[in-house]
Amino acid sequence: MSVWGVSRSEPETQSDSLPSRALLWLIVSFVVLLTPQVDRLPLWLILVCTALAGWRWLAQQGRVRLPGRWLRTGIMLILVAVYLITVQGSFTVDTAASFFVLAVGLKWLETRTVRDFYVLFYILVYLATVNFLFHQEIHWALVNIGAIVLLLIGLQVLNAPDLPGGMKASLCRLGGMLLKVLPVVVLLFVFFPRMDPLWSVPLVSGQASTGISDTMRPGDISNLAQSSERAFRVTFGGAIPENRDRYWRGLILDSLDDGTWRQSGVEPYRSPGRVNVDGGVGELAANEYDVLMEATDQRWAFALEGSEAVSDNLVKESNNLFRFRRPADSSIRYRLALGDTDKPPMQSLEQRQAGRYLQLPAQGNPRARALADELKKSNNDIGVIQSLLGRFREQPYFYTLRPPEMPNDGIDNLLFEEKRGFCAHYAGATTFVLRSAGIPARVVVGYQGGEAGAGGDYLIVRQYDAHAWVEAWVKGRGWVRVDPTAAIAPDRIESGLRDAVADEGSFLENNWTSAQRYGDVAIVQWASLQLDRINYQWQRWVVGYQGQSQLDLMSRLPGGFGMRELGYLTAGIVGAALLIVGLLSALQIRRGAGRDGYSRALAAWHRLCGQVGVPVRQGETPAALAARLAIAEPAVADSARLFARTVNSHYYRPQIEPQSARDNDDDLKRLRRLLVTMKRQLHRSGKLRSAFLHPSPQSGKHSD
Amino acid sequence: MSRLIRSRFQSWINRRIPRSDVQVLTQRNLFILPTAAGVMFGLLLLIMLLTGINYQNSLIYLVTFLLGAVFVGAMHQTHRNLSGLEFTLVQAGEGFAGDNIVFRLRAAAGKDDAIAFTLSVDDLSVPVGHVPAGQSVDVALPVPSAFRGYLQPDRIRIETRFPFGLLKAWSWMRPVSAAVVFPRPIVAPDVVSAVEDGEQTSNSRSPEGNDHAELRPWREGDMSQRIMWKRFARSGQMVVADWEADKGNPHWLDFNAFAGTDHELRLSYLSWLVIERGKSGARFGLNLPGQVIEPESSTTHTTRCLRALAVWGEEKPRDAFAAPHGTRHYTTIKKSAGAARGVHS
Repeated sequence: MSVWGVSRSEPETQSDSLPSRALLWLIVSFVVLLTPQVDRLPLWLILVCTALAGWRWLAQQGRVRLPGRWLRTGIMLILVAVYLITVQGSFTVDTAASFFVLAVGLKWLETRTVRDFYVLFYILVYLATVNFLFHQEIHWALVNIGAIVLLLIGLQVLNAPDLPGGMKASLCRLGGMLLKVLPVVVLLFVFFPRMDPLWSVPLVSGQASTGISDTMRPGDISNLAQSSERAFRVTFGGAIPENRDRYWRGLILDSLDDGTWRQSGVEPYRSPGRVNVDGGVGELAANEYDVLMEATDQRWAFALEGSEAVSDNLVKESNNLFRFRRPADSSIRYRLALGDTDKPPMQSLEQRQAGRYLQLPAQGNPRARALADELKKSNNDIGVIQSLLGRFREQPYFYTLRPPEMPNDGIDNLLFEEKRGFCAHYAGATTFVLRSAGIPARVVVGYQGGEAGAGGDYLIVRQYDAHAWVEAWVKGRGWVRVDPTAAIAPDRIESGLRDAVADEGSFLENNWTSAQRYGDVAIVQWASLQLDRINYQWQRWVVGYQGQSQLDLMSRLPGGFGMRELGYLTAGIVGAALLIVGLLSALQIRRGAGRDGYSRALAAWHRLCGQVGVPVRQGETPAALAARLAIAEPAVADSARLFARTVNSHYYRPQIEPQSARDNDDDLKRLRRLLVTMKRQLHRSGKLRSAFLHPSPQSGKHSD
Repeated sequence: MSRLIRSRFQSWINRRIPRSDVQVLTQRNLFILPTAAGVMFGLLLLIMLLTGINYQNSLIYLVTFLLGAVFVGAMHQTHRNLSGLEFTLVQAGEGFAGDNIVFRLRAAAGKDDAIAFTLSVDDLSVPVGHVPAGQSVDVALPVPSAFRGYLQPDRIRIETRFPFGLLKAWSWMRPVSAAVVFPRPIVAPDVVSAVEDGEQTSNSRSPEGNDHAELRPWREGDMSQRIMWKRFARSGQMVVADWEADKGNPHWLDFNAFAGTDHELRLSYLSWLVIERGKSGARFGLNLPGQVIEPESSTTHTTRCLRALAVWGEEKPRDAFAAPHGTRHYTTIKKSAGAARGVHS
């Protein structure tokens, strides 16, 4: 039995020719679905997919032939081999998704029958699903949903190739249907219980994504400075702090080796998995703030100094750093609270810790070491720091995104020769000098600043806000922040990178497409911010609507909804939706063209007759029934005859003289009046009481 | 077991859909189920939901629900595509056994358009593109026939998979009117009619016996004396002279002439003879047991004879659940009539 939309009577050969228009919709949809993947997929794969789909289309036009089985197998083997070579055995969701795209591309060569068409439909729908794993912004969501709509149109065209009205009609029909089902979709989305993952599949792509890394070589951060991608967005419960106070600490680099700063402690390995992506729910308290961080594939979270964890998806570690329990492979939301700033500081640094923060390479950068010795001679710890910052402030040091190469003794070079560098250079050099002077110091990497989003209700921190600064241990005061960049380029700290390098013109100089590059063009800036605001709300309320947000929302509803109630509710919604659909169609049929007022009145009359023991016989005319009724119930004889006559005159009226609508209505009214009269008369004669005992007219057996 | 279930189901269907030449599709007689493609679609939704759960991806949830709702909406649309559609059997055709007999049906759409449905009997299906609301379309549905007699398609299946092919809604129409299937013509052997026909018997034959000769191609079993050898020498065609004289009475085609032959075969012979006579425009009469059609020569006469052959010995089919008499005047109240029917049967 053929089950794929071809009726059994259609031989396979006939389904060979799929309707071109249906196929075209599918191809268009495929191209649309590829666009979100363009930045992720290797170029050859995109070209291959386009070529394969194009081949299928040319074959449909009859210009080329589809490959036979051998050629097809050959193409498949070659492409799979190329794929395997390019991924080199790494199996992640990312590579799996690429393979899936390749499989979809290959399927185009094998689209002959209706069955293939459906298979293609399924895998394209799933491709849209896969796209959502990588892009969740509102415009990509719209692109994906749009592609699914195209697929549905394709199916519609396949099933009704010669539908009149063309594309507009099918769009209207589909649009109407989508509008009708929208409430159910929204209800399901809100109430469907967000379960914990059934098993964990890491999404970690293995590819380095944009963002700060856990090593710092001079120059790393200046690469980041060329990226305007978002790092995270923050909503504050209270007022947004000043730009200069917005130091987002991410990680601490305390080990200098061969010119590279690293984390000395080994981060314990944790199996990749999921973290709650929607930590922190409910109203923000005045001192709280809520961070929506883009995926980093790392465990670190960014926090202002002196914060405490509020949401349970991150933990505070030593050094006042925050870590997720697992790498953040999708955007993730967490909540922190600004704690008391005048908390009693740590009184002493453990010996082991002190050693760690004083570690230096055995040799190198002699002039910097000499400078440290010199500073130390005349000052206490605070004095050393202040005079070092003073040096930065007074001498012609420059803050630049185009630092010169400083291969050997980079710190000496920077401090005494070039005097041009980026925050990472200065932070590294400062730490070096402080450590040489015997002051425990460490490099802190994170972000600094951030730009207010549209309306000023939230803060957007971008990759070019990446920053490195220094923390030094001062006895009696604990760790204090020392930012050499603030001394050299106050603009960077006061108002951001754009102003700091405005003279140089190097802001996003390699990033032509970024809207931030054109920040001075008001309309671009406005549009970009508005788009970001929409996306932010989208990510917070739609994308980020997961277990905790749901439970929070539900707890605000009366009745205290738990997981189980949600399950029941979902089942209820589905059931109710099906019921409504059923009822609607029932109503429509009941009120359908087939049943006009006359037939309803007639049916009512037949019921009435049945109730008084004169059920209508098969094929009996109204007049005959009226006659029998008159014999059985003389009281209603006249009304019954009149009723029958009116019915007859309606149904047997010559078609030549069309009845006016008004006459029609009058007749109908008369019929209804007569029905009421008959009922009253029958009641009076006491015949109709039995009707309550036998509510169903059919139950009265009648024997001819 | 499955046969038992199937026959139960069929008899249930037959009870539910009484034989009638007019069939309005309503919820009572419309059925809807997902197709295999629809089942696969359900599976796909399940996989998508799993993906959404595992990756905690709200948008995948959203799309899954959207497609699920589209499925439900499609259910509604598929059902509505057929409901309200009214089928009337306009004409049950005629034809020879073994051929496809054409039934003419009129499909009138109710309040909604009816799009892309098919009518099918057994393995033959006729797609119908689009019937706009309130309009009607005539459909010619070929029904395969095997035997002569009355042909009443057991069930005409009306099916739609619009809009997405994920669901199919279907119903059946069980027409009362039957087509008449003529016996399949089989070339008759030469026989003599037993019917006495006074005026013609003696002098219809010429002394030479070949003035009413009818030429026909040679076929196996013909005596070699009868072959027109002269003609064969001239044209190379083996032609046999069929003298009417040898066929017995020229005016009567007689059922009893083929003594000892199976009745159905005799009817087939007669069918062939009727057609041959009809073609040549000869006068002929038909003698069947219990029925005699006087000699005449016209196309209507030919058809009449064929019909007589077709239904000889056959009962006109009647269904126990035939629509009550008179309902055609107000077919729209079939529901209430149906209620009454339960009482009367």
